[in-house]
Amino acid sequence: MIMVVSQAPEDVGELLAVARKLGEPFVLAFQTSAEKVDEVAAYGHKVFRLRSDRPEALFSAANRLYGELRPQLILGPSTKNVRDGLALLAGLHDLPLASEVTQVSDEGSYVRYSRGFMSERVIMTAKVPKPAVLLLKQKAVEPVGKGGKGEVVEVSSEQQGVKLLERRPKQFSGVRIEDAEVVIGVGRGFKSKEDIQLAFELAKALGGQVGATRPIATDLKWLPEDVWIGISGKRIAPKLYFAIGVSGAPQHMAGVSDAKVIVAINKDKAAPIFKYADYGIVGDLYKTLPVLIAKLKRQ
Amino acid sequence: MKDIAVLVKASLNPEIVRQGSDGRFDIDYTPLKISDIDRNALEEAARLKGLLGGKVYAISVLSWGPVRARDKDVKLAVQEALAKAADEAYLIEEEEILPTDQAIVASAIAALMKSKGLRPAIVLAGEASVDESTSQVPARVAAKLGYSFVGHVNKIIEVKGDKVVVERDVEEYTEILEVPLPLVISVTQSINEPKPPTLIQIRMASKKPLHVLSAKDIGFTSRPARSIEEMKVVTTSRKQLIIEEANVEKAVEKLLELLHKEGVLR
Ligand SMILES: Cc1cc2nc3c(=O)[nH]c(=O)nc-3n(C[C@H](O)[C@H](O)[C@H](O)COP(=O)(O)OP(=O)(O)OC[C@H]3O[C@@H](n4cnc5c(N)ncnc54)[C@H](O)[C@@H]3O)c2cc1C
Repeated sequence: MIMVVSQAPEDVGELLAVARKLGEPFVLAFQTSAEKVDEVAAYGHKVFRLRSDRPEALFSAANRLYGELRPQLILGPSTKNVRDGLALLAGLHDLPLASEVTQVSDEGSYVRYSRGFMSERVIMTAKVPKPAVLLLKQKAVEPVGKGGKGEVVEVSSEQQGVKLLERRPKQFSGVRIEDAEVVIGVGRGFKSKEDIQLAFELAKALGGQVGATRPIATDLKWLPEDVWIGISGKRIAPKLYFAIGVSGAPQHMAGVSDAKVIVAINKDKAAPIFKYADYGIVGDLYKTLPVLIAKLKRQ
Repeated sequence: MKDIAVLVKASLNPEIVRQGSDGRFDIDYTPLKISDIDRNALEEAARLKGLLGGKVYAISVLSWGPVRARDKDVKLAVQEALAKAADEAYLIEEEEILPTDQAIVASAIAALMKSKGLRPAIVLAGEASVDESTSQVPARVAAKLGYSFVGHVNKIIEVKGDKVVVERDVEEYTEILEVPLPLVISVTQSINEPKPPTLIQIRMASKKPLHVLSAKDIGFTSRPARSIEEMKVVTTSRKQLIIEEANVEKAVEKLLELLHKEGVLR
């Protein structure tokens, strides 16, 4: 049996595509919304419903089902809450766990998987004995469609010591940089939030969108997190990626490795970004961008 | 008085990836370096130490072998931990568990703590290492020790009695949690701005105790279950045509000409 942990109806099609090849799936819906649980049940497999979105609760419920049903594999998405909950389970039972997995194949009492390693500059293929926990990378496999109506039963979790005091939703822009043909990447070379206006002007001149490195989105909060590019942010494949004041850390570049053309503007000639770029200008962005924008507008 | 343990990993440096002649990752060529986010954990340990008044231990398990070739790099990482925050360090170097997997690392850490009688109130670690980036060792250690766990912490707001208030970061929201001690916390890069150790701290570090231990020394007999079958380098070659031109007008014109040729401008 395969335990599929679903955090959102959007993840379950991909998880089931892998699970059905490996055995008989059942679903643990880690989900507070009843409507969404119904959507998950519409794939036709039995659903255990956990009315919580806390990783400690996931750990407790998954541990109970693991003990009762003895699944040979546990699959889930590579989100933070699922990682945290299932890493606790893996720790308790010494199960192998891999995240951001892109390929899985059955090897009898073993399972073989592939995943990115070294900021996805290397693909590692490894074999581990079952039972094991494998967390899939988003969009790595073609999802299966809905069909049937699975039985839904409640599963409870034991009260844990962690107390939730407050939750603050993040502010997102709603911009889908993954759909843009041209993306302007803003890095810490920009000295203030106001200066990012230059990147927006360039984006406008090129018909593109503005994205950011991790520190710009998370530490400085100058741009919303849904335009954060990289291994822990979004992966994009535009026709043209402009990296401006971006050093070219491997964790950032992992998010743009599928871009057709990469252009860098950086004042440091030795910045790693120039090794990952097709074209580059060694220069101050504050001097280069106004000229570039003016010339593009004139064309 | 509450002790703190900090988990420190010497990771393969992802900036230095070389392809061997067969397309494989030339792992021996890549040096180890302290994992970036572990520096944030050390900075936080240095801050908390003042508040909690106990000792700080650094714990590291060598993950990539052979021991002889990696000894210098891993000790450099541990020395940084000693310089920044730790009073004492434990380093497990064991050929038999190399390359490790995450289950082995967590079990070895738990075995070490047990055999040495370490009972920290707080265990700090980075939320992910820079080589494998699976974010699982801190939670595993918590499960093994029976500690509470909270991952992806942006801020340690307050330690009051036997509880800690933290801000945790996930994809859609941040949340404020109250978590009982003893506790394992994995921190994000946003928690602080790590400062490099000062020269004085570096000099002091060499006088602090560093215990290098084998599996036998801590009564540890498990072996990794994962076998790595292949490590293939993903290659994307880029043109790397870099314009160095003092005249900005000329530099921009040259770039636009190249981009027109590529057909990527509207
Ligand atoms: C596990 C892990 C995961 C991570 N995930 C991500 C991720 O998903 N995405 C991500 O982006 N990062 C990620 N990071 C962080 C990453 O390692 C880098 O720290 C980050 O990408 C650097 O951002 P930056 O290039 O904006 O800043 P910096 O590295 O500070 O670079 C700024 C650059 O701007 C240049 N510059 C300065 N002034 C000017 C000027 N006036 N004109 C032109 N150039 C100028 C400088 O020369 C420098 O090269 C991760 C790190 C870790 C450890």
